[in-house]
Amino acid sequence: MAAVASKKGGFLDFFKNLFKRKERVSADAGERNNWKAWLYLAPVIILLAVFTFYPLINTIVIAFLKDYDYTTQVSAGFTFDNFLTVLTLAGKDEAQNLVYKWNTFYSAEAGGYVYQNGAELMKVYFQTDVLKYALPNTMVITFVTVPLSIIIALLISVCLHSIKAFQKIFQTIFFVPYVTNAVAVGMVFAVLFDSKGILNFLFGLGTEFYWIDHAASWGHGMIALCIYIVWHALPYKILIFLSALQNIDKQYYDAAKIDCAGKFKTFMNVTVPMLSPQILYIMITSFIGSFKEYTSVVGLFGSPSTDGGSTKNMYTIVYYVYDCLSGTTTVSRGAAAAVMLFIIIMIFTAIQFQVSKRRVHY
Amino acid sequence: MEIRLKNLTKCFPGNPKKGIPDTYAVNALDITIPDGKLVGLLGPSGCGKSTTLYMVAGLLEPSEGEIWFGDEDVTDLEPEKRGIGLVFQNYALYPHMTVYKNVAFPLTNLRIEEAVKDKDGNQVMDETGKPYIKKRKLTKDEIDKIVRETAKIVQIEQYLERKPNQLSGGQQQRVAIARALVKKPRVLLLDEPLSNLDARLRLQTREEIRRIQQSTGITTIFVTHDQEEAMSISDEIVVMKLGVEQQRGVPQEVYNNPVNKFVANFLGTPPINLFKGRVENNKLYIGNEVVREITEKDVPDQECTVGIRPEGIVVDPNGSFTFECERILTMGRDIMLVAEHPEATTNTKFIVDAFVEVSTGTVKCAVKPHKCFAFSLEGDELRII
Repeated sequence: MAAVASKKGGFLDFFKNLFKRKERVSADAGERNNWKAWLYLAPVIILLAVFTFYPLINTIVIAFLKDYDYTTQVSAGFTFDNFLTVLTLAGKDEAQNLVYKWNTFYSAEAGGYVYQNGAELMKVYFQTDVLKYALPNTMVITFVTVPLSIIIALLISVCLHSIKAFQKIFQTIFFVPYVTNAVAVGMVFAVLFDSKGILNFLFGLGTEFYWIDHAASWGHGMIALCIYIVWHALPYKILIFLSALQNIDKQYYDAAKIDCAGKFKTFMNVTVPMLSPQILYIMITSFIGSFKEYTSVVGLFGSPSTDGGSTKNMYTIVYYVYDCLSGTTTVSRGAAAAVMLFIIIMIFTAIQFQVSKRRVHY
Repeated sequence: MEIRLKNLTKCFPGNPKKGIPDTYAVNALDITIPDGKLVGLLGPSGCGKSTTLYMVAGLLEPSEGEIWFGDEDVTDLEPEKRGIGLVFQNYALYPHMTVYKNVAFPLTNLRIEEAVKDKDGNQVMDETGKPYIKKRKLTKDEIDKIVRETAKIVQIEQYLERKPNQLSGGQQQRVAIARALVKKPRVLLLDEPLSNLDARLRLQTREEIRRIQQSTGITTIFVTHDQEEAMSISDEIVVMKLGVEQQRGVPQEVYNNPVNKFVANFLGTPPINLFKGRVENNKLYIGNEVVREITEKDVPDQECTVGIRPEGIVVDPNGSFTFECERILTMGRDIMLVAEHPEATTNTKFIVDAFVEVSTGTVKCAVKPHKCFAFSLEGDELRII
């Protein structure tokens, strides 16, 4: 009986029944058909094991290995140094040296080596690429593009939903970015944001105003990057919101109309609460997505900076991970960064679930 | 507030290229609904009764005709400016708001006009010497007071903090009525308000609706396909068919004197029994049997449809009307005879008192003259007698 139920109930029920085995009244049929259930699940389990669970666990393991060599698979045992290195660009020993090196400097006036104070020391730590660029950039990208793209997508989908003529055509137009390659789009944006590009021409900014090259300032680069990310993130969100909008009973709008609610009030009191499950879904997935932002930087700048690679002022966490993977000895450093990103994402997702509990209406 | 519908028409255009004709959901409807009355719009599905209601509400635009509330023409007025309360068939309560917020929602949108007074309590006049009137929102306390008053009328005070999905159908329905009533509408519109309730709750709620309507005195239009429901609580019913009004009047009057076969057939459960018959020498025949003599007027001889209400026969060994009783259904208070008759269009059902002794087989009976009608076979199948 239980096995029959599990086949109907799907993946989760199957596992529930698996652990309930001893409670079964009659296990005969269940025992006999158990291997069948495993057989049906085998393709998924094997694929997940090889391509998801093993890499996941392996990454966590590598993150804790000392002097791990990717090609020879040899390591010098367990260590926390990789995490320290990500944050300070130095291992434990290196960090000690750095502390010594930066704590003391030669002063002719004092006639010898002088110790620096702690604040000066902290400055040194924050001058690493991860702490100075990757982490702040990732945070800025996340907290600017996610709310912005959700609000814009919501407005566009409400507009699209309310027009009658050309609705299908506009839907298609708005969906085009989704099927376009991120790097290709980045190249187009690079042309648009070029100093001799159409953007500067349209806004009359001349040909000396730099967005993405010629050592453009961090702010300019970030504006261009955020515009690009928002634009590329819109179609999927519009798709989700539009299909959800089409499922809202029209009578709620009739009721709101009779209740004398204005357009904006109806939007805030009917549309947004009715879409709240979709908004939560979009919010969580796009938070995760923008924490992992990387291709957009490559697409737009070609390197992690606005000046060809010397400052890394457009660095993101995942870009750092990719950089680490290019060297054989830095792999464990990349793994450590990935694990840290994983933890950050987990914390943010948990917070979102908590906050949303009262605000999402299923 | 008296409501007048003048030549009201709603036409959904067809597609002449594909040969789809225009559909008239409502055709030239003229109804006057007296102030403070409860009027039931009654008809089978697709007869245009909901369309009529939505046009009165302003959610649908009439193709032709006018709608008057008292001496104000509201035909082109926005729904929010008409001052109506509408209860939807599925209630359309906002699922994410508590009952309190649902009921308070219309009030938060309301702007009241108030004469501005200065510090000493004197009215401030504008340049033309008229009182200076300012619009303002209701305060939280005012809203709270009105919401609680309305909740008391519909008896939902104890549910105010719940969400709609934590309420039963009947309670949800009362919340919907409260939301419609809370802004003191001039007209209350109810769209099939009882169709989502079970049988017992329906009986109870329709009396509730009647009580609420009478205690507030708001002119109410009530749409239903259930004739029993409409007849039991309406001051007046309007029977509609395919967008055209068939008959209007006090429920009992319409039941007793239907103008045509459609009205006679639509009102009453079980429905009226129809037979092929004829009028000859001022006598009404079914087959070769005289059902009744026509005494009230002279009717020319013709073929016709005879309708006998289920309660319109008396079992009588000397009666002139014979039928084959197939089954006897006990209903407690009465018994129902399910019978065959060669001239009947369907199998016939008669209700007689439970103490009458009948058995299956041939039953002789007499027909109560005032429960027996004859309808023309032509045109609108108007009633002959």
